[in-house]
Amino acid sequence: MSTEQLSDYLVENQARFYHLAYSYLHEREETLDAVQSAVCKALEHIRTLKSPEAVRTWFYRILIHECTDRLRARKRVTFLPPETLDAGAYEDPLPQDESLARRVDALPPEIQTVIKLRFYEEMSLQEIAGVTGWNLNTVKTRLYGGLRRLKVSLEGADQDE
Amino acid sequence: MNEFQSAKLEYESPEIPRELESRVRAGIAEGKRRAGRRRVTVRTFTAIAACFAVLFAGLNLFPTFAAAAAEVPVVGQVFRVLTVRSWHQSDGDATYDVSQPAVSGGGDFAEKINQEIQKRVDEKVAEGNQAIQEYKEAFLSTGGTEAEWAQHDNKVSVTYSIKSQTDTTVSFVIDSNVSIADAYQEEYYYNLDVADDQELTLKDLLGDDWVNVCNTSIKQQIAGSKDPSVFFDASMGGFTTVDENTGFYINAAGNPVVVFPRTTIAIGAMGQVEFEIKK
Repeated sequence: MSTEQLSDYLVENQARFYHLAYSYLHEREETLDAVQSAVCKALEHIRTLKSPEAVRTWFYRILIHECTDRLRARKRVTFLPPETLDAGAYEDPLPQDESLARRVDALPPEIQTVIKLRFYEEMSLQEIAGVTGWNLNTVKTRLYGGLRRLKVSLEGADQDE
Repeated sequence: MNEFQSAKLEYESPEIPRELESRVRAGIAEGKRRAGRRRVTVRTFTAIAACFAVLFAGLNLFPTFAAAAAEVPVVGQVFRVLTVRSWHQSDGDATYDVSQPAVSGGGDFAEKINQEIQKRVDEKVAEGNQAIQEYKEAFLSTGGTEAEWAQHDNKVSVTYSIKSQTDTTVSFVIDSNVSIADAYQEEYYYNLDVADDQELTLKDLLGDDWVNVCNTSIKQQIAGSKDPSVFFDASMGGFTTVDENTGFYINAAGNPVVVFPRTTIAIGAMGQVEFEIKK
C-alpha cells in the first residue's frame, strides 16, 4: 500500500477512529491526541503492513493500543492478568439502569475491545483476533463473557454478516 | 443483537471536532517525516590519538570553533565539547531553541564528527520547521483561523548535554524535540574515545559477553521494578535483547546506561527508559 493510499484511508475514516478512541478515553482533547499519534505511527511503520486488505485490522490494532496505553498511563483502569480475565472477571454485573453503551465502556479494556469491534465496527471474530493478536478461542471467551456480564442475549453473537 | 443498535447510536453520537482533520493530516505529515529518516539512535566513532598539534590543526580548520574555544582555558585536557552555535528565536509560528556542540582537539576525527553534528542540527531544525508549516497549512485549510493558530505554543529545540567526561572519553547526547499538537522527540548518542584509536561500544565497556550481561541486567531490573506491568511483554513488542543499535551513554561512574526511547518497550507514561549496566 502506498503512503498516499494509506493517507486517503486514514482521512476518509477519521470519524470512525474518533468514535472508537473516544469510547475509551471520553475526553475530546486526549482523543484527538490519540488519533493523531496513531496516524503518525501508521505512516511511520507503513512497512509493517503486509497487504492493503489488512489495513483496517492493522490500523485498529495501532489505534486501540494507543488508547489502552493512555488508559494505563492515567491509571484509571487496572489491567488484569489473562487468567483472571478468563475465569472470574465477568461476575459483577453493572447497574442495569445505565445505558448499554456506557456499561460496555465500563468493562475491562480487553473485553470492551472485543464487544466494540464486534457490534460497533461489525468485525468478524477472525478479524478481531487479527486486531487484538489473541487466538480465536480467547476472543470468543471474552465476547461471551462480556455479553453474559451485560446480560444481553448471546444469540447470533458469532454469526458473521 | 438488537440491544446493540441503540448502543451503536450512542457510540457514534459524540460530535466530531472540526480540527480532527487537521490533526489527522498533522499525524500523516509527521509520520512520513519520521519514516523517511534513519532510525538510528546510537553511533560510536573510531577515535584518533589526540595531541596538541592536532588540536591546533583542528582549530585552524574551524575558525568558529577557535573563536569559541578561545574563551575556554584548555588545560590538562586536549579535547573538549563546546557550544559552537547557540540561538534562540521566535517567529509567528514557533519558538526555536538551538545549541550546537562540537568536539575540539580531535583533528580529522573531530572534524568528521563536527560536520556530522552540524548537518544533524541543521536537519533537525529544518524538519521541525517543516512539520510546523505542514501542520499550520493543515490547520488553516480545515477551518482553523490565524488567531487560533497564534494560540499554539509550538517549539523546536535541538540541544545537547554531556553525560560524562574523562581525560580520554566523552559521552554526550543531542536531543531534538518538536512540539506541535503532540511532542516528538529524538535522541542521538555519541560515545567517543578520543585517546584511543578504537570504537567505543558496549562490547568495549562490558567485554565479549556484553549481550548477555546487558540482557540479564535489564531483565532483572524490569522484574525488580515497582510495577513490572508497565513494560510490554515480548508478544507486545517488549524488550527481547540489546544489539549494536541499542542506544547508550556513559554515566559519571563510567558505566554504560542503555536507553530505550519512549513507547518502545514500556507504556508511554514511562517516557524514555534507562538501565544502568554495572561493570
